[in-house]
Amino acid sequence: MITQHPDISTLMAFSAGTLDEPYALVISTHVAMCEACQEGVRRTDRIGGAALSGEAGVAMSDGARLRLLAALDADDAIVVKSPVEVSEMPVPLRRYLPYGLSSIRWRANGPGVATRDLPVSPGVKSRLMLLKVAAGRRVPEHSHGGQELTLILQGAYKDRFGIFATGDIADHDEDVEHQPIAEPGEDCICLVAVDAKLNFRSRLIRLLQPLFGM
Amino acid sequence: MLTATMSQIPPQPPTGPLPADDLAKLIERVATLRDREALAKLFDIFAPKLKAIMLRHGANSAMAEDLAQETLLVVWRKAHLYSAQRGAVSTWIFTIARNLRIDHLRRQSNRPYEDLEGVEIASDAPGGDRIVEENQIVDRVTLAIRTLSKEQQDVVRLSFIEDIPHSEIATRVGIPLGTVKSRLRLAYERLRPMLEDLQ
Ligand SMILES: [Zn+2]
Repeated sequence: MITQHPDISTLMAFSAGTLDEPYALVISTHVAMCEACQEGVRRTDRIGGAALSGEAGVAMSDGARLRLLAALDADDAIVVKSPVEVSEMPVPLRRYLPYGLSSIRWRANGPGVATRDLPVSPGVKSRLMLLKVAAGRRVPEHSHGGQELTLILQGAYKDRFGIFATGDIADHDEDVEHQPIAEPGEDCICLVAVDAKLNFRSRLIRLLQPLFGM
Repeated sequence: MLTATMSQIPPQPPTGPLPADDLAKLIERVATLRDREALAKLFDIFAPKLKAIMLRHGANSAMAEDLAQETLLVVWRKAHLYSAQRGAVSTWIFTIARNLRIDHLRRQSNRPYEDLEGVEIASDAPGGDRIVEENQIVDRVTLAIRTLSKEQQDVVRLSFIEDIPHSEIATRVGIPLGTVKSRLRLAYERLRPMLEDLQ
């Protein structure tokens, strides 16, 4: 049962199309898992439809209409809906993680913590990564240089904002500090979009930061 | 003697809501009858609007027209997949144009959006009535946006029409990022009765 959803302003940015690819992917993966946010995005998309509908137009050049009709002749490609295969991985994430969670080559990032970067389009400044926290272990306290979106793919963690379990999303503004602790029983795996390096508070960890590439 | 404007072609006056029934009929004719005249009418209604927003995104005139054309071409190809679940006709066209723009202007993958289309959403009555209803909802939202405070309208426009990320809106308007978000939340609250069709 999903209980933690993105902020409405984040869903609005998703509908507007202004989120960087890592954030858009985290949101679309959550939406694929969350009926409430499927309805939420249908609503925020309506703002886009209304904005387009209310827009004053700029005249198209002469002949544009004819060119479109000519293009229809050249192209009678009808898009066929491709069947969605059954898989445990939510649809939008499959393209980024085709072999599932079990095949990930993790990179150790300190005791009980491992990460893995996922490839995004060239030129994208923000970062898409998987974060694994061993059951019962804590992530060092940190704050963010920018917005951080975290989607729980497996297990659960707890911090001062509550318990986040599979399908839940944590939508944190910059300057939020928190110290997640993985719940016992199962490793917690999260899909994370960050637009700056995580900023660890402890001086020791700050010193180690460049080594770990976090 | 005329002052230079952003575009060579003067903008046309703003239009009111588009006729809800007509739009639903047009899209249905494209889907079921492959009616080219119906598509041409959708082109007349939407292409100038699409061109206008693409120009604001930084496209030049030729590219803005190409993207408007391409949007209508996708409407032609996908009309049979359209349903009320995809929202009003204008909402669906907005999302198609958004995905093309992410691909072409932002040079990022639009797959997170495209793949989401494949996720089956619990569907209610699929028929034309529901599409008309969706169109009416969006008409009410269009009018309601004009009743928002100037500050709220600005952030909605900058985000949905001008394609500017929240952090950059903050820089442009000269307000903290948190204020951009709270204005958007307030705008959503004001639009909520229309967006959630609670009337
Ligand atoms: Zn949700």
